[in-house]
Amino acid sequence: MKKEKPRIAFFDFACCEGCQLTVLQLEEKLLDLLDHVEVAAWRVAISGGSDAYDIAFCEGSISNREDEERLHRIRETAGTVVSLGTCASIGCHNALKNQWTGGEVLELVYGGEAGRFETLPARPVASVVPVDYQILGCPASLPEIEIVLKRILTGQPHPLPNNPVCVECKRNDNLCVLEKGVMCLGPVTRCGCDAICTSYGDACQGCRGLVDEPNLEAAVRVLTENHRHAIMDAVARGLRVDRERIRTWFSLYNGPDLQLEQEKTGHGP
Amino acid sequence: MMRDRSLPSYCVISPGSVLDFTAGILGKGPVMGPMVRPDQPGFHVFDRLRRPEDLVLEYTTTTMPPKKAFFPPTETVFRFSAGDPPNLTPVRGDPPWVLLGVHPCDLSAIDALDRAYSFPPPDRRWRHNRDRSIIVGVDCMPDEYCFCDSLGVSQARRPCDLFLTEIERGYLVETHTRAGGELLGEARTSNALGQDFLEAEHRRRQKALGIQARLSADPGRLADFLEAEPFQEIWEDIAARCYSCGSCNTTCPACFCFTMDDVFHWDLQSGERRRAWDSCQLLDFAAVAGGHRFREDRWQRVRHRWHRKFLHLYRRFGRPFCTGCGRCSRACTADINILDETNRIIAAATKGRGHA
Repeated sequence: MKKEKPRIAFFDFACCEGCQLTVLQLEEKLLDLLDHVEVAAWRVAISGGSDAYDIAFCEGSISNREDEERLHRIRETAGTVVSLGTCASIGCHNALKNQWTGGEVLELVYGGEAGRFETLPARPVASVVPVDYQILGCPASLPEIEIVLKRILTGQPHPLPNNPVCVECKRNDNLCVLEKGVMCLGPVTRCGCDAICTSYGDACQGCRGLVDEPNLEAAVRVLTENHRHAIMDAVARGLRVDRERIRTWFSLYNGPDLQLEQEKTGHGP
Repeated sequence: MMRDRSLPSYCVISPGSVLDFTAGILGKGPVMGPMVRPDQPGFHVFDRLRRPEDLVLEYTTTTMPPKKAFFPPTETVFRFSAGDPPNLTPVRGDPPWVLLGVHPCDLSAIDALDRAYSFPPPDRRWRHNRDRSIIVGVDCMPDEYCFCDSLGVSQARRPCDLFLTEIERGYLVETHTRAGGELLGEARTSNALGQDFLEAEHRRRQKALGIQARLSADPGRLADFLEAEPFQEIWEDIAARCYSCGSCNTTCPACFCFTMDDVFHWDLQSGERRRAWDSCQLLDFAAVAGGHRFREDRWQRVRHRWHRKFLHLYRRFGRPFCTGCGRCSRACTADINILDETNRIIAAATKGRGHA
């Protein structure tokens, strides 16, 4: 007898829904996926939907009580919960607001209407409910989405890749972007994206979060002090890169991670 | 194999004949050689050669070493499908039939990998790929990172089949193997004259003079030093600056560690096993079941790199697994220079002993 297909559902919290769109980019492989699953709910792909599902993909950060309650309901319903993308997995841009604890952010955004809204610090899904699988990236990386889908469907775990982006970058035989005078967060950023940005000559912005035990002190030194790579040295001087600027750059995606790292080691940009 | 007493033999090939020769071999199968990086002129890369005019024989270094011709950064080892027993289909390597333009340091590194991968159990993929390829070496001029001379490999030839040295008339060609002689077969060459040998010798001297960077002890003494003393302060100092990004290993022509991973196809019943370059500097390199990591601290991993290159593999194979090519120093995102640090170790070991 044919086994019943698991039902998948997508849910969005504070985010741009770009990760859901990325899953749609599986394109013809969606047909392969549909051999193995039924779609219960997927707002950007189908109308309607059902409340009965087995695997829930949650994208976005959790930033108010409504979100929290909704996420708890999802966790109770789904056997498997996946945090999809960097907002859901580490907080991403949403967590930038966490550095202001009062109502300044609300007022800045909603002005006189600020009193109508309630907000909480933005948190990743795993800070609110247990998560079974994590997919990183802003947007979530398509090859990783495929790998994780297959691992879920075959019952395998998916430990987060724990190498810096440099490893994948070198396997692609890229010229280090530092050699071109481009500052890069690749050496402290978790891989799994196949070094897509640096492979096209751009800097890594750190969208997949920090690797375990990143050497942030070394990063600050390399980005601020005189550097043997003459061209990079010139860029550093031209930009007048200082600690504050680096901190801002790191915080773009890694606010909560940096905070943890600071608490753990006493170091941080 | 019986040594051919007529080898090495010598002849001269003109630049124009090199083009014709390259065009000829391109017509017979995949060829890899150094060329200008399309994304960044001034830098070179080993890649599949498609047009003879793209071959650049005068280059300083390449981002990745030519070992990738035989040991690709990622490759499929076998395909599998579910069954009882499961079906396994090996996937053979697809090496270039000719690898062109390999510098002496990189030849020496291929020789190192020949030894490491022949050590039981031998790596059959490496052997398969090596047995199907002909290597053409070329002499070079050093840059500020090169310290090949003090490791004794600046004039390495093994295991090349042909070797070129630039001279006035083109290149002096050394034929080192019968396969090399056959490859050269149809090329237009002329007899090598006394003047050609003199020019080649002059160029070798120029090269030796150009190599300013030197290891300050011979590799044998370095191995003894590393064995005798812990040097923990030095490892910790390097570790404070090191990202553990692995770029020193992934750009190294003599590193040979790899990791394995299974990738499923969409039928979820079949898939392939892949292997990819790995690095002992990475946090999870020596992680085992249960979560234990054998070299948890960064300084232990730094020490491991030096011990592998200059102590353990030196003892096992009688040569350091570093060729002084300088790629790791050039690639280090944190500015750590292998030569400077190694000389620091030597200085610390010889301090106050009156034998610097």
